[in-house]
Amino acid sequence: MAVHPAVPLNDAPVTDRPAGPVAVRASGLSRAFDGRGILHDIDLEIRQGEFVVLLGRSGSGKSTLLRILARLDAEFDGELRVPDRPSVAFQDSRLLPWNRVIDNVTLGLTDKDAKRRAAELLAEVGLADRARAWPKTLSGGEAQRAALARALIREPELLLMDEPFGALDALTRIRMHRLLRTLCERYRPGVLLVTHDVDEAVLLADRILVLTDGRVSLDLTVDLPAAGRRHTQEFTDLRTRLLTELGVEDDDQ
Amino acid sequence: MLVALWFVATSAGWVDARTLASPAAVWDAAQRLLETGQLQDNLLVSLQRAMTGLAIGVTVGVVLALVSGLTRVGEFLLDANLQMLRSMPILALVPLAIVWFGIGEEVKILLVSLAVMFPIYLNTHAAVRGVDSRFVDLASTVGLGRIALVRRVILPGALPGFFTGLRFSVAIAWLVLVVSEQINASSGIGYLMTQARNIGQTDVIMVGLVVYALLGLISDTLVRLLERKALTWQSTLQSR
Ligand SMILES: Nc1ncnc2c1ncn2[C@@H]1O[C@H](COP(=O)(O)OP(=O)(O)OP(=O)(O)O)[C@@H](O)[C@H]1O
Ligand SMILES: [Mg+2]
Repeated sequence: MAVHPAVPLNDAPVTDRPAGPVAVRASGLSRAFDGRGILHDIDLEIRQGEFVVLLGRSGSGKSTLLRILARLDAEFDGELRVPDRPSVAFQDSRLLPWNRVIDNVTLGLTDKDAKRRAAELLAEVGLADRARAWPKTLSGGEAQRAALARALIREPELLLMDEPFGALDALTRIRMHRLLRTLCERYRPGVLLVTHDVDEAVLLADRILVLTDGRVSLDLTVDLPAAGRRHTQEFTDLRTRLLTELGVEDDDQ
Repeated sequence: MLVALWFVATSAGWVDARTLASPAAVWDAAQRLLETGQLQDNLLVSLQRAMTGLAIGVTVGVVLALVSGLTRVGEFLLDANLQMLRSMPILALVPLAIVWFGIGEEVKILLVSLAVMFPIYLNTHAAVRGVDSRFVDLASTVGLGRIALVRRVILPGALPGFFTGLRFSVAIAWLVLVVSEQINASSGIGYLMTQARNIGQTDVIMVGLVVYALLGLISDTLVRLLERKALTWQSTLQSR
């Protein structure tokens, strides 16, 4: 995709970060499986440098939407403009078990420089000494970090993640959140992160979308400082609001 | 266990030496055969046949498995036919093959190849088909083309299945070779045994059996070693 000239967003003024060129533009996106409608008429725009979190209950169609944006599913209706090659991080790290970590990171790259950049990125995610390891010997968190390195080495205009931290323990997850924010600040892709963890959404997002029965039922710009969010009143308010939107009573106030 | 029983049974005179030679007699026979060079010569011939048949059968099996595993046309044309033929006992073909092709060298190699091809085909085909579709998704998101997909994802993913097939194949190769050598050959270990049978030399027959057992054992070990080497990425899990 050619880089689009910046078009002003209709609503949602982007917070502390300047809006980059548009990374995703979808309008009227619908998807049905065997006549059963899963996504209905979805409009979506994500800019480079913008961190969008997609929340939704199980079965609301989050993964379906992500697969469409990842160009893994072409059988949708509506209009869609995405980069030729968005990077994707899946819930399972999806490292090829028969390739060493570094060769997983460079998978699909043909330039001579790839190995060097991969080594750099692995160092950045704290895996410098595991570059030659087999994926089966990595811990869950290490594997996800390797997958993140694989996604970022392509310097994507768009980074799509489907519950990338779903399988990690709480501690590792916090460290992964920090790492992800740092890396996204540096590489500034447009990000769409799918999760059903409300805290994760409020901690990371510039913007939060809630998907309910295949429709975007809420589109919120998060106007909170990048660091130390958890201790603000807005955090709690936003959290409660999102839980209500998802149909869960927030009982631990 | 079995060897011990054999030893006791023959040396205690429970079994007639003409029915079952004692280990000592077999040892003598083996030395006799080695001195005359009969054992080496026939072993070499058998080994050559097995290797040639194995090489051809494995190659053909892998190629067929890839064609039918990766292309729709191939699947349609090949798979149903091969799946149907697989239940056919190859050994039953031996007499027919002799009638058709005579007793030349090619027949034995052909039979071995054919027998070897099936396990290779079936296991490799299933493995190619069974490559996790999530990896195929991944390949497409990192922009691997069709050839790179086969080389980086499908072939390595199917390798464990291929090795399962290879171990079956090696065992079957010897089996088919013995039988076809016993029925129609003028050289090879199977021939040596048939000759011995005709003149009632059970010790020589036993030598043949031992040689076959050793060949089977050695070749299986070799395949396992090869497998371990090729699948290092997998062994890390097993060795824990
Ligand atoms: N290939 C498919 N064929 C048929 N139905 C499908 C297919 N993929 C998804 N669906 C259906 O679409 C609906 C949405 O699925 P999707 O995976 O997008 O949900 P999700 O929001 O990601 O849920 P979760 O949070 O549990 O991952 C589900 O009801 C699912 O059964
Ligand atoms: Mg999902």
